[in-house]
Amino acid sequence: MIKVDTTTLADIVNQCFGCATDGRFTLAQQQRFLTEGKRLRGLLMNLLSAQFSDGTQAVLDANTQLDRINTELTDSSAVLAHASQVMADVAALVGNLDKLLGIATGFL
Amino acid sequence: MSSSSLKVVRFPVVPRIIIAAAALLILPGCATNRYQAPVTSFQATAQQTVNVLSDFYASRNSYEIDAYLQTLAADPTLPVQTTDAQGSPTPLGKPVFSPLAIKARLDALNLVGIYASRLSDLVNSDAPAQFQSASTLLGQNFSSLDSTFQMLTHTEDPTAQKYAGPITSLIGTIGQMYLERKREELVAKAIKDGAPQVDTILSLVRDDMDTIFSLQVTTGASEKLAVMAVAYNTERAKLSYEQRLTRLMQIKAASTEAAASVGSAPSGMVTSMLAAHHALVQLANSPPKTRIASLAQLNSALAQWTNQIQSVAAQVKVLLH
Repeated sequence: MIKVDTTTLADIVNQCFGCATDGRFTLAQQQRFLTEGKRLRGLLMNLLSAQFSDGTQAVLDANTQLDRINTELTDSSAVLAHASQVMADVAALVGNLDKLLGIATGFL
Repeated sequence: MSSSSLKVVRFPVVPRIIIAAAALLILPGCATNRYQAPVTSFQATAQQTVNVLSDFYASRNSYEIDAYLQTLAADPTLPVQTTDAQGSPTPLGKPVFSPLAIKARLDALNLVGIYASRLSDLVNSDAPAQFQSASTLLGQNFSSLDSTFQMLTHTEDPTAQKYAGPITSLIGTIGQMYLERKREELVAKAIKDGAPQVDTILSLVRDDMDTIFSLQVTTGASEKLAVMAVAYNTERAKLSYEQRLTRLMQIKAASTEAAASVGSAPSGMVTSMLAAHHALVQLANSPPKTRIASLAQLNSALAQWTNQIQSVAAQVKVLLH
């Protein structure tokens, strides 16, 4: 059985909430980060104990995507320079994680 | 000095037999006493730990409901829903964590508490046989525990099912306490026999804390702070001075909670309990020559655990909603 990398997902959630209170972003961008952060946290709660069959490609892809976005968010100057792209990436992540819930085999 | 003054004093044969007999009578008493203080302390701290952990587990779903309602309170455009626009249940519509899985953990922790309690009863009583009278009550507890796990075997919850094996074995160990009579042997045997199961249950609890609830708590606290801050930033122009002050004080409290949330899931307390339990097992397994060192190690682990539980209990109280 494999799992989604929830530690990295939690890092991303916290970074979204951090951006939501970062005055370098516009109020609209802050609100968008808050919205995506809340959606990601909702998914995190469901994925914390979700398990998947070994080798599930969607999970492996999601974990790669989590790593990439987490790294992206860590570079604050890049996030500021490309805020729209980062938010689009986060929104895409939300969509992919949402799909995973349908194929999980076990939950707490 | 004369050679006669160096003579070894020899007791007559009959007094020697009496001394040997007295020693035989006293030694088991000493052996039992070596368990009495640490096991009594272990039981008291275990019960406190079990209480703190049980409160923590039992509050996980209400924590999520509070987080959801907090979001609604901060944003007047959001309606109360049991299912959101995407069709997903909100924390009001469906518990985030399965109540049955939470109950399994509470039962497992309760069993560890009962185990520690029986050990303590055993070392503090001169009549182990009297435990038989309490077996009916325990039997009822175990029956209901068993039925919980019977139900769990029919669910798809893999984490809760991990508890089933060690619990079944631990029930067996406690049951044996009622059938034996020799306390000294019984204590050592109960500690040794129960050790793997207690260890497994506590390790599972620690994993829950590290991999599930620490992430719940840290992201929950960050969300609360961000929701309040964004709501304030959006609405501040419309707020009076008093309203702004009230909101800002709430933001300050949320900020304090967020800073304290890192490492606040009571994982360290479980680690300390595991260390104290390992030391207790080591004492039960130790040969006479190393018993003093083992006892000192156990007392040290117990002291560390006892010190930690006070601050952790206070931290967990903040997290309870």
